[in-house]
Amino acid sequence: MSGNGNSNAGASASALVLRSVTKTFGEFTAVDDVSLEVPRGVIQGFLGPNGAGKTTTLRMVLGIFKPTAGSILILGRPSAMEVRDRIGYLPEEKGLYKKMKAWAIIAYFATLKGMDRRSARRRAFDLLERYGLKDFANAKTEALSKGMGQKVQVLASIAHEPEFVILDEPFSGLDPVNQQVMEGVIRDLAARGSTVLFSTHVMQHAERLCDRILLIAKGRKLFDGSVAAAKATLPRRVRIETDDDPAPLAQVPGVLAMARGAQGDGAWELRIRENADPQAILQASFAAGIRLRRFEQLDPSLHDVFVHMVGDEAKEASFR
Amino acid sequence: MRYPLLIALREFAENAKTKGFWIGLLLFPVMLVVMIQVPRFLEERATPTRYFTIVDQSARFEPVILQGVERAHARRVLEALVAYQARYADPDRLPQAGDGGIDLEDAPPGSLNPAEVVKRLAEDNPEMLDTLQQPDGLALVLAGIRPLLVADAPPFEEPRRRLRKVEIPAGVDPSAGPDQVGEALKPYLRGEERVEVGGESKDLFAAVVIPADVEEHIIRPGTLQSVGWDREGVRFWSANLADDDLRDVVKNSIDEHIRAEAYEARGMPPAAVREIERTSVAFATFDPKKAAGEEVVSLADEIRLWVPVGFVYLLWIAIFTVAQMLLNNTVEEKSNRIIEVLLSSVTPGELMMGKLVGIAAVGLTMIAAWCISLIGVVWYFAGPEAEFAQHLLDILADDRVLIPAFACYFVFGYLMYAGIFLAIGSVCNTLKEAQNFMGPVTLILMVPLLTMMFIPKDPNGTLAVALSWIPLYTPFIMMNRIAGDPPQSQLIGTLALMVVSALGMLWLSGKIFRIGILRTGQPPKLLELLRWLRSS
Repeated sequence: MSGNGNSNAGASASALVLRSVTKTFGEFTAVDDVSLEVPRGVIQGFLGPNGAGKTTTLRMVLGIFKPTAGSILILGRPSAMEVRDRIGYLPEEKGLYKKMKAWAIIAYFATLKGMDRRSARRRAFDLLERYGLKDFANAKTEALSKGMGQKVQVLASIAHEPEFVILDEPFSGLDPVNQQVMEGVIRDLAARGSTVLFSTHVMQHAERLCDRILLIAKGRKLFDGSVAAAKATLPRRVRIETDDDPAPLAQVPGVLAMARGAQGDGAWELRIRENADPQAILQASFAAGIRLRRFEQLDPSLHDVFVHMVGDEAKEASFR
Repeated sequence: MRYPLLIALREFAENAKTKGFWIGLLLFPVMLVVMIQVPRFLEERATPTRYFTIVDQSARFEPVILQGVERAHARRVLEALVAYQARYADPDRLPQAGDGGIDLEDAPPGSLNPAEVVKRLAEDNPEMLDTLQQPDGLALVLAGIRPLLVADAPPFEEPRRRLRKVEIPAGVDPSAGPDQVGEALKPYLRGEERVEVGGESKDLFAAVVIPADVEEHIIRPGTLQSVGWDREGVRFWSANLADDDLRDVVKNSIDEHIRAEAYEARGMPPAAVREIERTSVAFATFDPKKAAGEEVVSLADEIRLWVPVGFVYLLWIAIFTVAQMLLNNTVEEKSNRIIEVLLSSVTPGELMMGKLVGIAAVGLTMIAAWCISLIGVVWYFAGPEAEFAQHLLDILADDRVLIPAFACYFVFGYLMYAGIFLAIGSVCNTLKEAQNFMGPVTLILMVPLLTMMFIPKDPNGTLAVALSWIPLYTPFIMMNRIAGDPPQSQLIGTLALMVVSALGMLWLSGKIFRIGILRTGQPPKLLELLRWLRSS
């Protein structure tokens, strides 16, 4: 049985639902009352600083840990073990059997996910070829470089074409070229209709890939929604350059502050309230006869959002 | 069942590919061959020819000693002949009693070691030795044996003479006093000077100095000489004290000679004495547990008594090797973090079961290969050992208890120790950490090895019974006792206790496994382990 297209669980619209999930280890609360709903077919980013509880949450999703409180529905089922053949998982700590050949490891994990041995073997060779590892198919994994080993492991986790792929820090340890390849893998998965949930603390990847993000820190949910919505939570900035006096623009509704910019003569930066429309500044300029040499709308990056939301906690965490 | 099976298959395939597995597999037959071949080789080649000289001032014992040396050689020829005949005997032409052939079936009952049988047979055959000592004696005997052998038997090779007499070195005055003679011989014996033998110079191995008045130093019961330490008699000089073949020959042949003289002096002809000395009563050991008419304890019975000891040893090696494999393998999966991917595909229970089955299959393959190679090697080297192997196979085929008992004790013993090793593997991140835990376990495992040889002597004694009731020891000790017919109640009781403990152990280690396998950092303290056991 291949992972794709099991229709009876398709009745559930969401690939994953977490309801007030909490996990404690003794005194320590790793995950605190996190709720989340991941629709099918989206790429969901799972962001947070180190030690935020990402891996613990993912392990609960996979049924490796049981939540202390709350409930989880994955592909419409309460236990990941029931739908294990339709899930692919790449753990944070990467490792392979050193003495096994690359193709054999991919095929082995695929058979553990329900594929028969012959098609698993064929799939392994196909994937290795597609991702440029054809020449290493028969190499023992101990002979592979770290990046190649990690690719093999990614391929092993998706060889059975799972409906739902969970990747824990898929980019860590990869060079920029291979990070590109990894992004390609995730897009391919999404294009095929799989739901992808991946954790990272590198915002650029999330920004480029994700439809939705969940941001947690110290086990608590800070944000859950689309990337655009996340950015909208920060005040925006508008950069202008003019030889006229821009003072009237400070009175435009929504503008919080105005200051000289660092770019030199006539450069100004305006901070405007989140959700306010920057076009209002443009209109006000026309109305006041201020001639703009330059008008630039500076969207906050996801990185800014991240730092803004978890900055203090992240710092705290890193010095612990 | 599909998942454990897949995991078991991988475990088997991967472990069967490792160097360690093949080394383990091949080392055993290689060691067997070496163990059989090396002593033979040393016996034949490595013992050099020993040159000795005799200074017999009494002019009484030199011919006696030379005669003794000849006899010793004849004895070795006879041993070689017996082995030769056993090896190349044609089964269709078995010797008939009384036709002069050497018949192994005449071996005294109750003797265990076939090599011992051959030796005894050779020693207890003065007529044959007399024949062999005659100039054409060997040819005569060979002609007698020849018709009993297979057609393509190679010619018999007479063993090399290992003791050769040489003339007294030129620098030694044989008429000087015995002390001076000894002094003069010292440089030769120490290797500072050498003796000429057929144009070659050789080391002098030993010298026998017999003073003229040796008669006064013959010890007779009731006389003064029999008390204390008399060093004035026959003096045996040698720098090599370890090789005592010649020393024994010299002493025994002189003793025999003077005894024969004493018999004669009292009017008893030596031939009669020799006959009397070979007189003995027929003696057989009976076993009350055997069927009427078959109570005589035979060689096969003796083997049967000791086979369980061999099985205990095999059991021990098998369990230890296999459990060790399981440990290494679990630690590898854990240190490589493969475990997490596995656990997203299978439950810890399935993973554990798969590993248990897969590794057990590896172990069983190894045991089977060992047994086959044991039989093969013994077969190939034939000789008296083949008889032993034949008995062994007969016993294994006949006995309805041994093999099932071995299988049963292997399975449950393995499960019990596998449980312990799996739990250890799951809480350790590196093999080094695991070694720390292994120490005490190895210590516990040593006990059955130490008691292995004692238990068959008192199979139902207090020690044996007490150890049987300790589940960790039950497989080994009960296997050990099986030939001693332990009481039914103990057999069943200890079996039940062992099965319950094995399952309990697996259940406990399953709990530890589930928590430990995902844990990183320091291995847990004992208290922490107990908390895990209570919590999950």
